[in-house]
Amino acid sequence: MAEELKYVEKWNSKINELKLGAAKADGGTRGKVFKVGNQASLPYLFKEGDIPFAPIIAAEVYDVPEDDWPQALTEDLKDVFRHPLDWAVKMVEEAGADLVCLKLQGIHPDLGGKSAKDAQGLAVALLKKLNTPMVVLGCGQADTDNEVLPLVSEATKGERLLFGDVVQENYKTLTAACIADGHNIIAESPIDVNIAKQLNILVSDLGMPQDRIIINPTIGALGYGIEYAYSIMERARNAALSGDRMLAMPFICFAGQEAWSAKEARVIEAEAPQWGNARQRGIMWEVVTAMAMLHAGADILTMRHPEAIRIVKAAIADLMRH
Amino acid sequence: MNKHTVTFYPDNKKVEVESATTILSAAISAHIHLNSACGGDGVCGRCKVIVKSGTVHSEPSGKVTSEERKRGVYLACQALVESDIEVEIPLESRLDMGSLSKEELESRLRNVYTKAEDISEAKPSLGEGLFTHAPLVVKFCLELPKPNFDDKISDLERVYRAIEEKIGERPIQTGLSNIRHLGELLRASDWKITVAVSQRGPVAEILSIQPGDACGRNYGLAFDIGTTTISGQLVDLDKKEILGTKAAYNRQASFGSDVISRIIYSKAQDGLEKLQNAVVDVINEMAEEFSEEHGIDLNDVTVVNVAGNTTMIHLLLRVDPTYIRQEPYVPTANYFPHFKAAEAGIKINPHGLLFCVSGVASYVGGDITAGVVACGVHESKELSLLIDIGTNGEIALGSREWIISCAASAGPAFEGSGMSCGLRATRGAIQEVRIEPKSLEVKYATLGDDKPRGICGSGYIDLVCELLKHGIMDKSGKLNRDIKNRRLREGKADYEFVVAFEEESGIDGDIVVTDSDLDNLKRAKAAVYSGIAILVRHMGTGLDQIKRIFIAGGFGTSLDIESAVSIGLIPDLPREKYIFVGNSSLAGSRQALLSCQASAICDKVAADITYFELSTDPEYMDEYMAALFFPHTDAKRFPSVKYV
Repeated sequence: MAEELKYVEKWNSKINELKLGAAKADGGTRGKVFKVGNQASLPYLFKEGDIPFAPIIAAEVYDVPEDDWPQALTEDLKDVFRHPLDWAVKMVEEAGADLVCLKLQGIHPDLGGKSAKDAQGLAVALLKKLNTPMVVLGCGQADTDNEVLPLVSEATKGERLLFGDVVQENYKTLTAACIADGHNIIAESPIDVNIAKQLNILVSDLGMPQDRIIINPTIGALGYGIEYAYSIMERARNAALSGDRMLAMPFICFAGQEAWSAKEARVIEAEAPQWGNARQRGIMWEVVTAMAMLHAGADILTMRHPEAIRIVKAAIADLMRH
Repeated sequence: MNKHTVTFYPDNKKVEVESATTILSAAISAHIHLNSACGGDGVCGRCKVIVKSGTVHSEPSGKVTSEERKRGVYLACQALVESDIEVEIPLESRLDMGSLSKEELESRLRNVYTKAEDISEAKPSLGEGLFTHAPLVVKFCLELPKPNFDDKISDLERVYRAIEEKIGERPIQTGLSNIRHLGELLRASDWKITVAVSQRGPVAEILSIQPGDACGRNYGLAFDIGTTTISGQLVDLDKKEILGTKAAYNRQASFGSDVISRIIYSKAQDGLEKLQNAVVDVINEMAEEFSEEHGIDLNDVTVVNVAGNTTMIHLLLRVDPTYIRQEPYVPTANYFPHFKAAEAGIKINPHGLLFCVSGVASYVGGDITAGVVACGVHESKELSLLIDIGTNGEIALGSREWIISCAASAGPAFEGSGMSCGLRATRGAIQEVRIEPKSLEVKYATLGDDKPRGICGSGYIDLVCELLKHGIMDKSGKLNRDIKNRRLREGKADYEFVVAFEEESGIDGDIVVTDSDLDNLKRAKAAVYSGIAILVRHMGTGLDQIKRIFIAGGFGTSLDIESAVSIGLIPDLPREKYIFVGNSSLAGSRQALLSCQASAICDKVAADITYFELSTDPEYMDEYMAALFFPHTDAKRFPSVKYV
C-alpha cells in the first residue's frame, strides 16, 4: 500500500477467546481443536491490535438431504448427498473446510421425524470419523430441538462442540444441557444488537461462561440486506472493543445458507441466460457473501459449496498474511 | 322500529331502547357505566354482562369462552338487543363512577402544594410583582362619587375611573349585559358597588357588577382533568384558602380508556357532544357538591381554571380533536383565550370565566405546564426532571434557562388498563407486593385494605421487581417455566403467576399476572425510560447532572422508588433526588387560579418549552429496544440494581 494508514486506533478491550473442541488432555477425544476470537482490533487491521486466530469454515452437512437445494449446489455433492459421513469427509479433506456443521434437519416431525437415537448415533459416528470438533444445529422447531439436542449434547459430552441456536424465546433447555456437557452455544438474534446483548445476558445468567457463547447476528445474503448485518456486527464489535463484555463474543455467520437462498444463486441458466453459468454464479454468490462477512468480523463461517469453501479458505490465508 | 325494555340488575334500572341497540349504549342511557377500555370495539373484553332472559344478537368473540357463552355472557358493546331482556352486570365489568375513596384521594393529591399560599398577606390587587396574590378574578368594592355638574362623566366611565384608581391605567372592557341596567343599579345601591374584574394580559375585564359590598365572597375552582381521573379544589380567592378537594373518575372512560380511542369516538354521531357532556357533568356535580358542603352560592364562584392534556382540553371545550392524532400532530390550539365558563356548560356565575392552562403540543398539554410550574422546574438554577406517568409518559427536563419535553407512548399499563387483572388506583387495588423467596407466597397491601380486586400501577411495579429478584421471571420478562409452584401455571391464554387466589380475592376468579401483561409493562417502562434517555442525550447533558426528579402520576398512594429503579422505569440515581409529587397538575392549576402572575408564567413556560418529537427521532427506536429488558440491556446504567 502506497499510503500507510496514518491513524491507528487502539482499543482497551478484546473479544473473548472461544475454544472449539477438546483434546485428550482437556477431557475430549479431538485430534484437532480450534480457537477463535481474542482479537483486539476490528477485522484485519493488524496494526491496531492483535488478531491471533484466523476465521474458520464449517461446512454444512445434513442428516437427511434438503430437497430445496438448487442443482448448482447439489451437482458437486451428488455422490455424498445421502451419506452424511462421506459428505463430511469430502468437505474436510477435499474442500478444505476446517470442520463440519451438522444440521439435524431429519428430526423435524414433517421432514422424517428421525429419532433422538438416530441423531445421537450420527453425531457420535461423525466425531469418530473426523478428528475435528463440529457445530451441531437442530431442525428449528423449538419443541423437537429441546427434546433431541440435549440428548445429542449428552452423547458428545466433554468434546466442547458448538450447539445452536438458542433464541430469546427459547434458550433455557439447550443452554442448560451445554453447560452440563461442556459445550459452547450459539445465541441467535434477529439483526438487532440490543437483542444480541440481551440474549447473551440471559444465557450467562443461567451460568454459561461468557467465553463459551458465540453470537449469530443473523445475516442477509449479498443483495438481501447484507449491509444491515454488516452494520450490526460493526456496532457490536465497536461496543465490545470499547469494553462491553456482553457483546465481546465471536460471531458465527451462516453465509452458505443465506447465499443459496438468494434468487441469483438459484435460478438455472435456461431461465436467465444473461446471468451466465449457474454453478459459477451460485459459487460466487456464496463467496462474496462470505467475504463480506469476514470483513464484518465473522469468526466462523458456515458454508455449503466445496468450491466456494476452497476460494474463501485461500482468501482467508491471504487476509491473514500481513 | 321496535322498542325493547332492557332491565339491568342488580341496579334494577329499566331503559327502553330501539331494536339493535347495543347493551353498552343501553347501559349508558340508564346511567350505568361499564368498563369499556377499547371504546366499544369489542377487543378489550372488559364489558362482559350476563343476559338472564330475552334474545340478543352477537358475533362470536374470542374474548368470551364457550363456557361463558353457555352461561349467557356477552360483550355489552357487541350484543344487540333483539327483545325485552334482563341483564346482570358483574362487579368487575362495572366502572366505579362514584367519587374516589379518601385513601385514593390522598394519593392523587399527595404533596400538592402551592407557592400562592406562602405569599404575602397583601390585599388582593392586580398586577405588580412576581406571585403577588392576585387571583384570576378579583372583587373590588367601589364607592363612587355621585355625579354633579362639575363631574358629569358617564356612569360607565365613572366605574372605569374608579377601577383605574385601584389598578392603574389600562384598557378595560365589559359586556353589554353589565351596561344595560348600570344606571339603575348605581343609583339603587347609592353608588356603592362590587365589581368582579379579571385580567389576562394587559386588558382588564369587568365580569359583573353587584350592588353593595360583596367583597369577601369570591371563590374559584381549580381542576386537573386527567384521562382517567378528574380532581378539583374549591378555593377562597380572597383568603387563599383551599376549602375542599374532590376527585372523581372521568366519565369519558365509557367511550375508551386512552386519548386516541376518545378522539376516534369523537367522530361517532354526537360523539364529541357526549364526550364533552361526560366531563362537564363531572365538573358541575363537583361544583354543586362543593357549594352545598361549604354553603357557598355558585354565583360567587367567578372563575374556573383547568389543567389537562391537550385532548382533554379540546373535548372540554368541544373543539374537534381530530388533527391531534394525524401527522404532523397539530392541535387546534395550545393556548386558549379565556371564555365564559357558561359557554362550555360549566355552571358557576353566568359571567364567570374559564381559563385553561396553556399546553405545549398535542401530546404535552397544560397538565405538564402546570406540573412544571408547580414543581418550580422553570425557576431552578439546577437541572430538574419531571416525569408524569400516565397513559402517555410525559417528560420535561430543564431549568430556568431552558426546558424540553416529550411524550412517550407508554400505554395505560401502569394505570391498570389493558392488563388481564389491572385496576386503576381504586379501592381493592393491590398496590404493594412482596414475595417470599422459597415458598413464593405473596404478601400484598390493597388500597383501603379491601379484598383485592385487581392490581394498580404501583402494585405492578412492585410485582415486576419481586418477580425479577426471586428469579420467577427472567430479564426479558418471561415467567420461569422451570419453577414448580402452585402459583405458576399455564393459564387460559398465557403462562401466568397467581398473585391472589379466588378465595382471598374480591372478584370472581384468581388475580394473576401473565406473560403478556409483563410484556406490556416492559414496553411501558421502556417507553418512559428511553424518553428520558433521549432527552438527556439530546441536550448533551448527563443523568448525573440532574439535581431533582419529580415523579407525578396516579399509581397508588405511594410509589416505591427502589422498585421503580429496579425494573428500569426511572434512572438509577441517588434516591434522595426523587420526589413523588402525586398530582402536580392540580397544584399548578390552583397556583394559576390564585395568581394571575402564575397564570402568565404558565403561558410563558408553555411557550418556552421545546417539544421534542420522539417518533421522528432516529435514535429513539434503538434506545427503546435497549430498554426492553430488565433493568436495561446496558446494565452499567443501573449499577445499584442486582437481582439474585
